[in-house]
Amino acid sequence: METFFNVWHYDGRSAVRRKVEIQTIGRQFFLLENERRHGPFAFSDVEYVTRKEDVDVYGLTDVDGWRLMLSGPVPDELSELLPVQRKYGGWVDRLGLGKATIAFTLASAAAVAIVLLSPQWLAPLIPDSIDRQLGDALVGDFGGRFCSTPAGDAALKKLVNSLDRNPQDLQVEVAKIDMINAVALPGGKVILFDGLVKQARSPDEVAGVLAHEIGHVREKHVMQALLRQMGLAVVLGGVDGNSGALVNNMLAMSYSRESEAEADAHSMKALGTANISPVGTASFFDRLSELDGSARDGDNGQGIAGYMSSHPLSRARKQAFEKSIVKGRNYKPALTPTEWTELKTMCTQDRKAKSGFGFEFE
Amino acid sequence: MNDDPAQRHSAFRFHGNWQEFARIAFPNLLLTIVTLGIYRFWATTREREYLWSKTDFIDERLEWTGRGIELFIGFIMVFLLIGLPIIVIQFISQGLIFRGQTAVAGIVTIAMFVLLFYLSGVAYFRALRYRLSRTYWRGIRGGSNNPGFGYGLSYMWKNFVGVLPIFLLVPWSMISLWNERWNSMSFGPHSFESTARWQPLMKRYLLFYLVPFLLFFGAITLAVAAATSGADIGALGGAGMAVGGILVVIAILGLYIILPLAALAYYSKYFRIAVGGLRLHNLEFEFRARAPNWILFFLANMAIVICTLGIGYIFMPYRNWKFFIDHLEAYGEINIDELTQSETVVSKHGEGLLDAFDVGAI
Ligand SMILES: [Zn+2]
Repeated sequence: METFFNVWHYDGRSAVRRKVEIQTIGRQFFLLENERRHGPFAFSDVEYVTRKEDVDVYGLTDVDGWRLMLSGPVPDELSELLPVQRKYGGWVDRLGLGKATIAFTLASAAAVAIVLLSPQWLAPLIPDSIDRQLGDALVGDFGGRFCSTPAGDAALKKLVNSLDRNPQDLQVEVAKIDMINAVALPGGKVILFDGLVKQARSPDEVAGVLAHEIGHVREKHVMQALLRQMGLAVVLGGVDGNSGALVNNMLAMSYSRESEAEADAHSMKALGTANISPVGTASFFDRLSELDGSARDGDNGQGIAGYMSSHPLSRARKQAFEKSIVKGRNYKPALTPTEWTELKTMCTQDRKAKSGFGFEFE
Repeated sequence: MNDDPAQRHSAFRFHGNWQEFARIAFPNLLLTIVTLGIYRFWATTREREYLWSKTDFIDERLEWTGRGIELFIGFIMVFLLIGLPIIVIQFISQGLIFRGQTAVAGIVTIAMFVLLFYLSGVAYFRALRYRLSRTYWRGIRGGSNNPGFGYGLSYMWKNFVGVLPIFLLVPWSMISLWNERWNSMSFGPHSFESTARWQPLMKRYLLFYLVPFLLFFGAITLAVAAATSGADIGALGGAGMAVGGILVVIAILGLYIILPLAALAYYSKYFRIAVGGLRLHNLEFEFRARAPNWILFFLANMAIVICTLGIGYIFMPYRNWKFFIDHLEAYGEINIDELTQSETVVSKHGEGLLDAFDVGAI
């Protein structure tokens, strides 16, 4: 077959450019250069490489640098045998830009949705042993910041026992840190910060906050939030340099509104079972929201901001606790006055416990 | 067939225009957004295909044969081999801090940074190797058989030595690393020889190096002058304010204008010397952009990005390549018959390592 469009050829062995003609024989072809004949080559081995200006460039499988360059009107008989051009890449070319954009948008939305929703399904599947190991690896003894006195421990144990049916799964500690905050961490660990215990006006307040954190543990919110955070990090732009702040993030981790509501519900139920009045918790929230407005310049400002950022206070939350008060019921205080004093002064009494954060917190 | 590029206007010519590039860049942007960034590997590939195909070397265009999937695989490898271990290490070191073992955590963190620094050196090397192995001219490509692990070590110690004497040997480390990198590369059968010297760079470097000191002493002098004259015209009151204002203006000028200008002046000299020291068989190279060219180039880039509210950023690969090719020159001759195919190995994964460290082109 003679052709009048231009065909150039590089054999990939040297840089010599050869003007050739294509001689097609069935599914194979030769390249004719003056007296020389290159080939035979199989059309099935030809692959599209690129387009340079008005020249289509083809390569040959497994022959490095082999090039066939066609310019001018390529005869239909030949172009039918050649591979199609590539523009955007596989899928986009097959679908077209518009359809591909829509398809990718849907796929991305689905991916984000899966990442946001799947922790709810995945978290319960993670075995407790892993959860526990993670918690131990992460928290350990909290750098020796946990306070302990025999009487204080006993009071704390009594509080936990009254609020949870399986207290042996939980590790509740008071940490010598002057911040109004409480966190739930993997492995059933709940840490009450001494600042929160000290400012509480009754053991009932501490009971409500503690029950709320236990709620996060029991509803598997901790693992959910952890999975969600890692999933988002992967989907949205791979690893960012700050993923090491994972633990810090977790301390300041904000759960979803639903999780908070669930933890509150858990707290109210546990208080009811323990026959502890929710009044204290409601007034605790009340005080916090008042402090939020006025204490920005004070020392406590940071502590409150810490609790507020992880537990957004809303009127609705306070009202929910107020509503759960059963009128005429004979509530008992969560701890006796002696026990309460022991718990409150535990960190002051325990001189071995280290105080504050020996490292950057934010 | 011998070609003498010295007789031509320029051995390298770029024929692209930004309108054509826009037809690639905008769909790329769209697809990158809807795929949450995953398309960016294919986007980069399409842009390079265009830029290379619009670049003439003597009488034939360049060809980019890299594939998006290669860059993608490189990225995934980096994520699995480096990203995940880093997350785990940071996790562990955070746990150590919580347990109060700050010293161990510090060692772990430092070890991680050393490793990352080593890997970024390897990444520089492998990116250059990848780019050369995917660049074809007349069916011939470049490459290197050196995996770059040794270069990573050089990168560590040379940078260390460069910084050690109060940063005075930075030009030496930059040039020495450039030479080491290019001496491992080849195109076709020929090795690059890079013999750039660092001594001619010192004057320009000292200029950049001394700018902060000069500014500092200038400010001191002015302040002293103001203080002494203030005694005489203290009654004016406004004089002190005016001098203060001048000092602030000078400080801002120094920080945001003079220092970057000095840095650009140094870099332009560095690049000129580095490229000028490069040789491929009988070819010598030259980079003709001088400091004013670089400054205008950067000002124009900034203007484009700012005036388009950031969208202009997608034209930066085009601008960079055009600037690079427009100022690149080659002298000497190429014996086309001698220019045979490269025997170097071709890795199947792209510059994922470099992508992960987010360092710029060239
Ligand atoms: Zn909560």
